[in-house]
Amino acid sequence: MSLDIRRSSASVWGSHSGMRTVPTVSKYVDTTTCIGCKACEVACQEWNDLPPVETHQVGTYQTLPTLHPEYWNLIRFNERDFDGGIVWLMRKDQCMHCDEPGCLEACPAPGAIVQYMNGIVDVNPDQCIGCQYCETGCPFDVPRFSKTTGKMAKCTLCVDRVAVGLEPACIKACPTGCLHFGTKEDMLMLAKGRVQQLKGNGFAQASLYDPPGVNGTAVITVLAHGDHPEWYDLPANPHVPWGVKFWKRIVRPLGIIAIFGAIAGAFAHFTKYGPKEARGTSDKDANLPPA
Amino acid sequence: MSTAAPRAPMDSAVVVARTREDVVVGPEIVRHRRFSRLVHWTVAGTFFLGLLTGMPIWSPIFGWMAYFVGGLTVARIIHPWVGIAFFIAILVQFFEWRRDMRLEPWEKDWVGPRVVRYMRYDATADDPRTGKYNGGQKLYFWAVSLGALGLLLSGLLMWFPTYFPRWLLELAFVIHDVTFILFAASLVFHIYLSTAAEPGTFGSMIRGTVTRTWARVHHPRWYREVTGEESPRRP
Repeated sequence: MSLDIRRSSASVWGSHSGMRTVPTVSKYVDTTTCIGCKACEVACQEWNDLPPVETHQVGTYQTLPTLHPEYWNLIRFNERDFDGGIVWLMRKDQCMHCDEPGCLEACPAPGAIVQYMNGIVDVNPDQCIGCQYCETGCPFDVPRFSKTTGKMAKCTLCVDRVAVGLEPACIKACPTGCLHFGTKEDMLMLAKGRVQQLKGNGFAQASLYDPPGVNGTAVITVLAHGDHPEWYDLPANPHVPWGVKFWKRIVRPLGIIAIFGAIAGAFAHFTKYGPKEARGTSDKDANLPPA
Repeated sequence: MSTAAPRAPMDSAVVVARTREDVVVGPEIVRHRRFSRLVHWTVAGTFFLGLLTGMPIWSPIFGWMAYFVGGLTVARIIHPWVGIAFFIAILVQFFEWRRDMRLEPWEKDWVGPRVVRYMRYDATADDPRTGKYNGGQKLYFWAVSLGALGLLLSGLLMWFPTYFPRWLLELAFVIHDVTFILFAASLVFHIYLSTAAEPGTFGSMIRGTVTRTWARVHHPRWYREVTGEESPRRP
């Protein structure tokens, strides 16, 4: 795998700057075979050398109410009442590594958020200025501001492992085979097979969550109740927020034109009309006494 | 005595301008007392610092501006505080100038084609009723005061994004952007008109004074009020 860069925040250069042809990678998450053991959570903390985070009782077995700057991988224990009783709709909450990342688009610091050629979206702490714009840009509410570092933090998809040919730590730790890692192509094949299997087993609404609004993600999730992504705390149709698109793609270019246009306009006006000078209006005409 | 100067004639205009304005001293008229000028330059200084720290965050093509304050991270840290200082300065300026800035009914057409005629030095844009500030200046004053409020509110949301809903944040980003663009573009003309385009104006913000001719050309009614010439009626 390579660390060539496909896209870089606030940068003109960075689009397809990689020379090597590398496949897009993906995690595969099968929510139906997750047993809630939290091995992936532990593996994530351990590999990334993150400190233990104080847990919060939220009324379920869930470790924390939400993602945390020092906790990048959280299994959500959503409970749902069905005829047969309560069912756990476990879901792996983490950075989805969008193909069209809203965080990257919102980020004002050159190179602070990069998307590698293999599709991994990563925060570069050296360049991050801690403005938290990416929080507004993210359709999945993932990036978290760390008060200790003054920078943003989130799942790196273990880019340091992937770059040397290893699978992400969470995948390595999963005991049930609910998590897999590979090229996006392979993972899609795996997921489609699993969805078919689920449909045959009575989950007619089973589907694959790979939202087209962000051009797909590098974390694809198999849902037994694909018609209700909100049951899993997933947005039905995530996309780069309209406000962020409008701000970055329309208002900003127009603004740059307006500002330089105003400067050019003032010069043009002076060239054509010159100063509005009546004799005696200038300071020098007043014959001022020494101050 | 031909002048309305309240001080002893030996006081120069600069000395008078420390505490008083709208008075004639010899060949000069004091237009902005020292406090007024101080407030104006505080507004200008904090706004300029806001530009220097905000524009590199706005677009990487202005990234070079960040080097003047020590990098993008420094810019990000001081920008909100500069914004607070700017708003306080604007607030003081608002109360300092508010009374002189009331738009009179006949000045309403400054919103429209009058500005174009004014910029073409068309004599029909001049009006003998023009007081201490013309309609354009008054509109600019209200726009700036309102814009500063917009920048403050949207800026506070952007400063503490975790406390607000996402749709409101998106709106704040757009408002902060649009307001800043209008500020920046109109500031270019504010600076241009008060320096190169209309000689004699800049001195009113430095020395505090203007010439009599300048006052008569640009602000005829104010000239009459201050000098007592022609119709010496003052409110």
